[in-house]
Amino acid sequence: MVPGAGVSPARGRNASRPPQDDEIVLGVSAAFSGPSRGLGTELYRGSMAYFNQLNENGGVNGRRIVMKLLDDGYQPDPCVANTIELMQDESVFLLFNYVGTPTVTRALPVLKTFRDQQVFLFFPFTGAEPQREPPYGEFAFNLRASYRQETAGLVDNFVRIGRRRIAVFYQNDAYGRSGWAGVREALARHGETIAGEATYTRGTQFSASMRGQVEILLERSPDAVICIGAYAACGAFARDAVDLGLHIPVANVSFVGSENMLQLLQEGRADPNSHTRWLVNSQVVPSYEDTSLPAVREYREMMALHDPPPPDNVARITEGEPYETFPQSFVSLEGFVNAKLITEIIRRMGDDPQRSGIEEAVFAVRNYDLGVGERVSFGPERRQGLQRVYYTVVEGDRFVPLEDWEAKFS
Amino acid sequence: MSRMRVHKLFRKTRFFFFALFGLIVISVSVLSITTVSRELSDEYESNSRSIAQNIADSSVDILLNRNLATLQSLIDQFVQIESIRYIYITSETGEFLAHTFVPGIPDEILASDASSTATVERSLPGLGDFIEVGAPILSGVAGTVHVGMDLELLGLKIQRAIGAQMALFGIIFVIGSLLTFWFVNLASQPLADLLAFAVRMAGGESATGDEPVLSRDDEAGELARLFMHVNRRAAGADREP
Repeated sequence: MVPGAGVSPARGRNASRPPQDDEIVLGVSAAFSGPSRGLGTELYRGSMAYFNQLNENGGVNGRRIVMKLLDDGYQPDPCVANTIELMQDESVFLLFNYVGTPTVTRALPVLKTFRDQQVFLFFPFTGAEPQREPPYGEFAFNLRASYRQETAGLVDNFVRIGRRRIAVFYQNDAYGRSGWAGVREALARHGETIAGEATYTRGTQFSASMRGQVEILLERSPDAVICIGAYAACGAFARDAVDLGLHIPVANVSFVGSENMLQLLQEGRADPNSHTRWLVNSQVVPSYEDTSLPAVREYREMMALHDPPPPDNVARITEGEPYETFPQSFVSLEGFVNAKLITEIIRRMGDDPQRSGIEEAVFAVRNYDLGVGERVSFGPERRQGLQRVYYTVVEGDRFVPLEDWEAKFS
Repeated sequence: MSRMRVHKLFRKTRFFFFALFGLIVISVSVLSITTVSRELSDEYESNSRSIAQNIADSSVDILLNRNLATLQSLIDQFVQIESIRYIYITSETGEFLAHTFVPGIPDEILASDASSTATVERSLPGLGDFIEVGAPILSGVAGTVHVGMDLELLGLKIQRAIGAQMALFGIIFVIGSLLTFWFVNLASQPLADLLAFAVRMAGGESATGDEPVLSRDDEAGELARLFMHVNRRAAGADREP
């Protein structure tokens, strides 16, 4: 744990300025506005909880870590423009905490274009394959498990309890397609194909009707549905599925933003759990309730101590209602763990960290204990740190670990 | 001298001018409509086919790498082109690998021949009318790209192009008609002056010799002078015992 002291906390910043000797700038393009703003904001808050504590104690090798924040609203074109801006900013040491597949997929060619500058993308909040495979895999380092692993785990568990007819509800873009491909591959290993599919457009709000999508899937009589989407649309689908009589397990992958979705589904309802009985969400970090893990204890302590507010100095693409934060969430825990590992990598680079030394420092991470119950290793052929997938269901007002699939869904 | 107008003599001439001009405008318009419609349709289909081929060429490596997220990202960029309404890519076995349909793939497309690259017109319930072209990926052994273009938008473009031409023809017709009317009036003016002069002579008035028509050096002037001469001779004969 980083000990506390009275140094001013780190803040996100958005103005370009020359490199400073006493700080390391991480460039961030993420969703800080729009229907998926909860993801970018919570990821940022988790990282800031760690960086604030770190900076109050003198930073890493005497340097404070700050984030240069740009909003892309979870839209590809702004993300490309932001990435170019960050790449052209000499003070930016590396790219960090990007959010989303459609955004990252479009930003990767920018990294390749500027490859001479040796700026790498660290720990994007997406489990898609493009930043894990050629031709762009060499420009990114991932910490979380992939969608392929998440969807494979969901499919394997559903098949194990006899739910073999699996349909997919997905966001009709690169993210949705990535998850769809994962489900397809996993089902093929069991000799099955996708039982049915329905799509929605990125940016769909919770207030939108998903009746058309539910009706398409009802016709296919699936045993379970795997959703590859963001919390607003997936929440709307879960709501309409229950209302229209589709009473089967509805699974979501980690990107969904579990707490944000749960809030939408429970807000203002007489029976808060009327639409959550069938939910099962996969996660790529352990439960933030599992205080047996050192990283979770540290996370809870830092979040309680700093309670980082949403970034207030970002030029947002769209304005909306003030964002209501969560004391803890899977997304902010992921942001916290991301911050912890990037700090360790920078620490290993010594007093004068250079971009040219980043890759070597990452590859030197072997069997590193992050405190999440799984050791982290990187290498030229291993650009993803964690492999484990966790499964959670709703109990009361939170997601808790799913212990027994058979008892819950058989 | 009061001015007179010549109506009857040039009525047929005017009618002939208008009829000829109208015939030209109508025939050119019909020719233009068919030409514009055909050429825009051909261009539309040609562009669609180029886009489909472009996607097919770009898809080979992506498909071989099983990178369907990148494939989806690729077609998502193309579908932002104004006239493209949908794109779908099928594997060599007919499986839908990537598409842009929301909330799902229409039944008509699910039932169609996925490997066909022929140009077809589709009417999809709730979506509209489309012209769809296909392009094979690696000669079809890796799959097929299908691009659907909005026929309504094509119709709108044809209407706009024809509308602009018709407006131009209309303006030319109006200006031509006014010019014809003005020119016929201009051409008939000496005759009108001659007619007025002759009416005066016939009414018993004697010419002063200052009338403008008498000073003209064209046929109207000669006829006027002839009228005056005949009129004077007739007056002299009347005075002889």
